[in-house]
Amino acid sequence: MSEATLPRRPAWLAGRATGPRLARHTLTLVALAVLLLPLADLSVVTRDPWTELGRMLQGLAWPDFAGVESPFRALGLTVSVALWGTLAGVVLGFPLALVFTRSRLVRAGCAFVRAIHELFWALLFLQVFGLSALTALAALAIPYAGIFAKVFAEILEQTPRAPADALPPGVGRLSRFLYAELPLAWTQLAAYTRYRFECGLRASVLLGFVGLPTLGFQLETAFREGRYPEAGALLWCFYLLIATLPWWSHRRLVPLLIIGGAFLLGPWPAVDGGLLWRFVSQDLWPAPLLAGDWAGLVEWFASIPDLGPAIGNTLLLALLGTVGALLVAMALWPLASRHFGNPASRLAGRGLLILLRSTPELMLAFVFLLLLGPSLLPAWLALALHNGALIAFLAARHADALEPGMPGLPASGRLAYELLPRIYPSLLALLYYRAEVILRETAILGMLGIATLGYYIDENFQYLMFDVAAFLLLVTAGLNIAVDSLSRRLRPREAPLEDPCLR
Amino acid sequence: MAPTEHTHETLLALDGVDLGHGSQVVLPGLSLRLARGERIALLGPSGAGKSTLLAALRARLGATAAWCPQHHGLVPGLAVYHNVYMGRLAERSALANLWNLVRPLRGPWREVTELCELLGLEGLMRRPVGQLSGGQRQRTAIARALYQGREVFLGDEPVASVDPHQALRLLGLIEERHATTVVALHQRELALSHFDRVWGLRDGRLAIDAPASALSLADLDALYPDAEATSSGTDRHDAEPAAPSPEALPCSRGRA
Amino acid sequence: MRWIAASAAAFALFAQGAAADTFRFTAIPDEDQSRLVERFSKVADYLEERLGVEVEYVPVKSYGAAVTAFRNDQVQLAWFGGLSGVQARRLVPGSRALAQGAEDAAFKTYFIAHESTGLEAGDELPDAVEDMSFTFGSRTSTSGRLMPDYYLRQRFSEAPDEIFSRVGFSGDHSRTIALVEAGTYQLGAVNYAVWDAAVEDGRVDTDQVQVIWSTPTYPDYQWTLRGDADERFGEGFSDEVRKALLEMKNPELLDSFPRSAFIPADNAMYAPIENVAEELGLLR
Repeated sequence: MSEATLPRRPAWLAGRATGPRLARHTLTLVALAVLLLPLADLSVVTRDPWTELGRMLQGLAWPDFAGVESPFRALGLTVSVALWGTLAGVVLGFPLALVFTRSRLVRAGCAFVRAIHELFWALLFLQVFGLSALTALAALAIPYAGIFAKVFAEILEQTPRAPADALPPGVGRLSRFLYAELPLAWTQLAAYTRYRFECGLRASVLLGFVGLPTLGFQLETAFREGRYPEAGALLWCFYLLIATLPWWSHRRLVPLLIIGGAFLLGPWPAVDGGLLWRFVSQDLWPAPLLAGDWAGLVEWFASIPDLGPAIGNTLLLALLGTVGALLVAMALWPLASRHFGNPASRLAGRGLLILLRSTPELMLAFVFLLLLGPSLLPAWLALALHNGALIAFLAARHADALEPGMPGLPASGRLAYELLPRIYPSLLALLYYRAEVILRETAILGMLGIATLGYYIDENFQYLMFDVAAFLLLVTAGLNIAVDSLSRRLRPREAPLEDPCLR
Repeated sequence: MAPTEHTHETLLALDGVDLGHGSQVVLPGLSLRLARGERIALLGPSGAGKSTLLAALRARLGATAAWCPQHHGLVPGLAVYHNVYMGRLAERSALANLWNLVRPLRGPWREVTELCELLGLEGLMRRPVGQLSGGQRQRTAIARALYQGREVFLGDEPVASVDPHQALRLLGLIEERHATTVVALHQRELALSHFDRVWGLRDGRLAIDAPASALSLADLDALYPDAEATSSGTDRHDAEPAAPSPEALPCSRGRA
Repeated sequence: MRWIAASAAAFALFAQGAAADTFRFTAIPDEDQSRLVERFSKVADYLEERLGVEVEYVPVKSYGAAVTAFRNDQVQLAWFGGLSGVQARRLVPGSRALAQGAEDAAFKTYFIAHESTGLEAGDELPDAVEDMSFTFGSRTSTSGRLMPDYYLRQRFSEAPDEIFSRVGFSGDHSRTIALVEAGTYQLGAVNYAVWDAAVEDGRVDTDQVQVIWSTPTYPDYQWTLRGDADERFGEGFSDEVRKALLEMKNPELLDSFPRSAFIPADNAMYAPIENVAEELGLLR
């Protein structure tokens, strides 16, 4: 904003170098959010949230582990679903990655499957495979295949060309790939798969919210019914699972986990072809369309909720969430970085980041709902904190891999001269990737009565009106694809993504 | 050192050819001749077009030339053995190559072992190249070129990161196994003492194309503009460095 | 490379099909869904003993999931809410309501209000509720959504989002109480049985929140069985199931629902629910 009114830009905002450009970029983004803020419903209504919040804190402080029904099975299943879902995603996504840059069809398909939230995939597969591991695996594997295809393709594209150029003439395509391309990308591919697995764990918990027997199943019920000691116990289990991830997901343990997990996933449902066919050929389509009744189809369209405000709310919440996540990430990443503070403060910082990024947004949103009353605000805060903490975690990890060129600078100098200039471009790039995720996540905050697209999708699934749900899913996917391509166009070109996990 | 034998048949001749990458011409109207059995040192300042010339030779010689690229072009994640094996990757089927990654094939393993012993890499064959020192990587890259077993050796600074004694030994090994060699170098003394002929590039043209025996170090010095500047002490092009404008300040980014 | 082979082997290992003809049922109690499997496995044991077939309890999360499982024959018997039962019976022709809870014949919804609204209990909803904030329970709940929505429209001739300044879906009766007690929403609609139990247990501060109106009665929860049960489990199986349900006397089992007893029910009893749902566009 200030750019337009000032006759001359201040020196630090002028010029074409990376720093000022990114600063201008950020300011524009923030200005846009501030400008649109009046459109958002941000009223604060607070009366007496403290009794309920007190109960929650008490539950978290004195968790009731005995109250949880078979916690180990739930934990095991959460891990198995994440592991097998990720594995299946790799198996499906890797071949797609090889043709990704060449085939427009594959790119479009991947963008489409990515655009739909795991929970909605689960709701779709639930209709066919019932409450089984197959539903859970498919709900993870399909969107992940799309994500893997895209990211793997980008990694493979960025491998150094020199070794392949050094090969003698006449080497076959496959041999060249095996010797001079795959090994070069291997570390990055593995690192990304590992990161996706952590995302898979969170998604696996979320799948419990629609009824698959992972940790989320009991977590959601206990939280919803106000049994906070039980919810606290389950949350602690999950925090510990995420905090100890680097140890138990050691390379040598993974095969054991995979095999062990396979036994937890069964029994497998007998897939009923008739059900599948009925769902695909009838349930998903508007009845008037199948009957060829055009007047009926017009009526069907009229019965669909008003899409304008829903899309507006979705986009507004996504934009605010994205900008909020940027601010949260900027504030939080130094807390967890080895370049700042002392061991105790870093431990606390890391703990906070685990807490924020592992608590499902829905729960964060509910806490803020109690505190601030029903409006867009709780949803915004929940999205900003959850995603901001995730970005902060990755940024801190990125910073930890850097070695300051000038040791002995004071903390502020280290931040401003050494670390921020190197981290900020990728932090911003990550934010743009994350915007797509945030847009998807606005969908699951319908509980707050904010009529986003996801709110209506959820509603129609509950009323078993799959045709409307499917139509709205298509609209959502289209919106996601549009926002994704827009954010890719707007994303500052300088932003390098050396760390594949920043995607 | 063997005397120059210009009577040998021509392996390759360029006659007024424009060399470069894409539409950008680096070496316009280049003419030269490479005879079988000739050992050629390629000299010139950085950016003079040495790599461009070598790439052109490589493209024209095809399967008769073994190639040792600048900065080695090794795969850090793979073991020394696999990197050397890549020299003959085209000779086996994809399936055999795949299996060789899981379990080294017996024949190639034996051959590569022999080469590695010659190059002082014994005991490192199973170590990923990423964990080697600069000199060890250099030798691995040479081993890969030797393993190709070709008639001509083309090397882009193959002895840049080893000490002078080792450089001599490595050049000896290369010559032992290749009748014809073209090697880009920085060491002028080595060029005069160890090669039959010197090609010197400067400002996009072949400034020197003469038998090594007919050249002196001073002749070679003329290829390097900085050497000229420091020796004459006058006529320096760049004035004292002005304070860079803020726009020119690069923003450091990425990993250190 | 090696572990890919190992995992493929593992995959082959557990690729066993589902068990043969087991009678499966599901149930979502209207409050306290903790330890579902443990509690309802006892019900399964009881039914197994009475019916002489293998009985298994399938835990589900939402009425939507329950209806889907019922439709897809993943469960044959289900303890549905009023609306979900109607949905299920429409989707699976021939299925029938067998029994309802003694409390379900005359179920009702309480409208509750935060103390700050100054509203008092009365015979009808006061006009003052207009432009306050209001929360339903779960979207497919009969007592938390369908019937309160219906009575609101009757009273004000307007849709709830026109009556109130803000309409939310808390997702659960207990949560509706918590949100209104905290003053987050000024008003809420809640299942009367859940409210009474919460008051009795002292889980709710009645100085902060109180009932201001009770809806007329309507039928709610019921057991619904698929129409093809006799075909699959033998002639007269449906009647056996109904008898077993009606004769369930063990308080420990009944507390899981929680109901004092089960009484006979039939599809026709739920016609009012069906009409209301159709009117509100929740059924078609």
